[in-house]
Amino acid sequence: MFVSSPTLAQLLRWMLLLTALLLGLAFLSLLIGSGHLGMKDSLAYLAGDTQARTNEQLSMVIQSLRAPRTLAAIIVGACLGSAGVLLQTATRNPLAESGLLGVNAGAALGVVIGISFANAQDGYAYLLWAFGGALLGNGLVLLVASRASALKLVLAGVAISATFQGLSSYLLLSNISSFDQYRFWVLGSLSGVSLSMTLQLLPISVFALLLALIMARPLSALLLGDDSARALGHNPTLTRSIIALTVTLMSGIAVALAGPLVFLGIVAPYAARHIVGPRIASQILLAALIGALVLLSADILARLVIRPFDSPVGVILAFIGAPFLILLVRSSKVSTI
Amino acid sequence: MINTPPINHDSTVMRYQGFSLLLSHSALFSTIVISLILLISVIASLALGSTFIPLNAALPAIFGQGSHSTLLLVQEIRLPRIFAGLITGAALGSAGCLIQTMARNRLASPDLLGINNGATLAIILGLIIGNILGSWWLALIGAATCALLIFMLAGRWGRQGYRVLVIGLAIAVMLRSVIELLMSTVSLQHASTLYTWSLGSLVGRGYSASLPAAFGLTLLLPAALLLSRRLALLRFEEDLAASLGLNVSKTQFFIMLLTIGLAGLGVTIGGPIGFIALAAPIIASRFANPAHIPIFRSALIGAIVIICADTLGRITNSHAEVPVGVITSILGGPFLLWVLLSKQ
Repeated sequence: MFVSSPTLAQLLRWMLLLTALLLGLAFLSLLIGSGHLGMKDSLAYLAGDTQARTNEQLSMVIQSLRAPRTLAAIIVGACLGSAGVLLQTATRNPLAESGLLGVNAGAALGVVIGISFANAQDGYAYLLWAFGGALLGNGLVLLVASRASALKLVLAGVAISATFQGLSSYLLLSNISSFDQYRFWVLGSLSGVSLSMTLQLLPISVFALLLALIMARPLSALLLGDDSARALGHNPTLTRSIIALTVTLMSGIAVALAGPLVFLGIVAPYAARHIVGPRIASQILLAALIGALVLLSADILARLVIRPFDSPVGVILAFIGAPFLILLVRSSKVSTI
Repeated sequence: MINTPPINHDSTVMRYQGFSLLLSHSALFSTIVISLILLISVIASLALGSTFIPLNAALPAIFGQGSHSTLLLVQEIRLPRIFAGLITGAALGSAGCLIQTMARNRLASPDLLGINNGATLAIILGLIIGNILGSWWLALIGAATCALLIFMLAGRWGRQGYRVLVIGLAIAVMLRSVIELLMSTVSLQHASTLYTWSLGSLVGRGYSASLPAAFGLTLLLPAALLLSRRLALLRFEEDLAASLGLNVSKTQFFIMLLTIGLAGLGVTIGGPIGFIALAAPIIASRFANPAHIPIFRSALIGAIVIICADTLGRITNSHAEVPVGVITSILGGPFLLWVLLSKQ
């Protein structure tokens, strides 16, 4: 299923379209909430209406609840989307995704350990613990991936996630206050995201995305086989290690902000691959944009489905992702990329 | 027409009028050994917990002798809980054995396929809409609906075992999300109990919750044992099984009904306790002659695993009790990984 490689102009057109959509959604995301604030008031606030600006509740909701949430959704979506491309290409498995394979669950366990034993509080500490956990998860996945088929790897991911989730629940349940605080986060939620943590992790996520783009060329060489990659002047082991670290970093950022989200890393790369064809760098860019779009829309939906309650965005993603996974498996295209 | 079963010297035939039962000595022996292990774990579970009760106080307390507090602890708290664990483990273990054999896939189990989550969702819906927890019939409806959905989406079991499993996994995740969504609408006070239950927990499940399931088990488990010889034929290719005189689709239908029934009952008491239905039959098959389907031994081992995991959950953490489902999921992950990666 080779799609003819589109020109740069086409890629740019798609990126512009998606960015415009993303900006529109971000605007919408600032207007919509699960609480009782009307859209009209929020609109007046954003338009700079003086009366609305002086309304303390309004500015609190928009500035410290909705704005960080919107930004975090974009960062997390971009990270998980592009990490999905890297992982799928590196394992040659269209079902490989950091959520389904247990890397995110590992990162979440890391954060839970950090919270329980090391009093982790700010974004950097969260990221550090998440990175450590994701490293463990990723190591396990790579260990299994060399010995398992596409579908088998997904089942191994179930096993890995189950253990990590079990350990997280174990630790959280021993402390009831943290249990209530992190019950949503453990399911994947953007509702408690703080602005400071989001801003702390923003530059790191840009760095990770750049790293992914730089690695696109060595990665595509790797697809030709190790010998060919070596002949082209790349070091396969080094490439694999950097890719693995990038995936780990991205998954760590995503989990530190939003908890362990599943399925985003399957949906976004799949869509990107179908739009731009086999070029890895284009796939990474588009998957980042699509990931951000999907997560932001899912988060807006999460605020609306059971109003006045806020639901975990991971739940909404599962509703989008699970049928998608079923279609993908049924279409029997699960061979290699 | 010769109708005598091949009797080896290592088996005994019991006959009563039209019925006959072939008992293999090795199967009998391993069943006795497993039952003894179960007995030991039950006794250990009686003694261990947040308060340690020495055996010389715990055992008389079963028969109503001892101090007031010991009696309360043993008769009102630990015994009902052990009973609930026994029923749950037996139901899940035998359900797993049936479906694994029928699907010819060691990984096909009600929890990985989402059937347990279907039952859980139905029960939680019942709780939120009608304020009743643990109604067994809701669990059966949920489990059956979910199984039907998987069959429709995955087609036949066939050889593409992993495909069915990944589809089941997707359904399981989706059902789990509906459960989480429903629970985020429940008040926190209510949610805490419900949440631990939805992870799989035997806390506070008294006889009133386990008796309907126990009754169901006494009907379904013998039915499954009666079908076990036909089930043994299902391990062959369908054509071969048919030529050996088996009505394949009818047998599959009955086995599926029994699986749904047993899995549904297993969920009613303690929620979706994971990995029992996967692990018990695999462990049981290690003790069994390959020609036999160890349904009863799977049930016993399921009970052992649940009792031990529940006891572990009570003693490992001094701050709070850990739900048995959390323990089985921590231990079950490596087990599943081992099964996946070991060649067979």
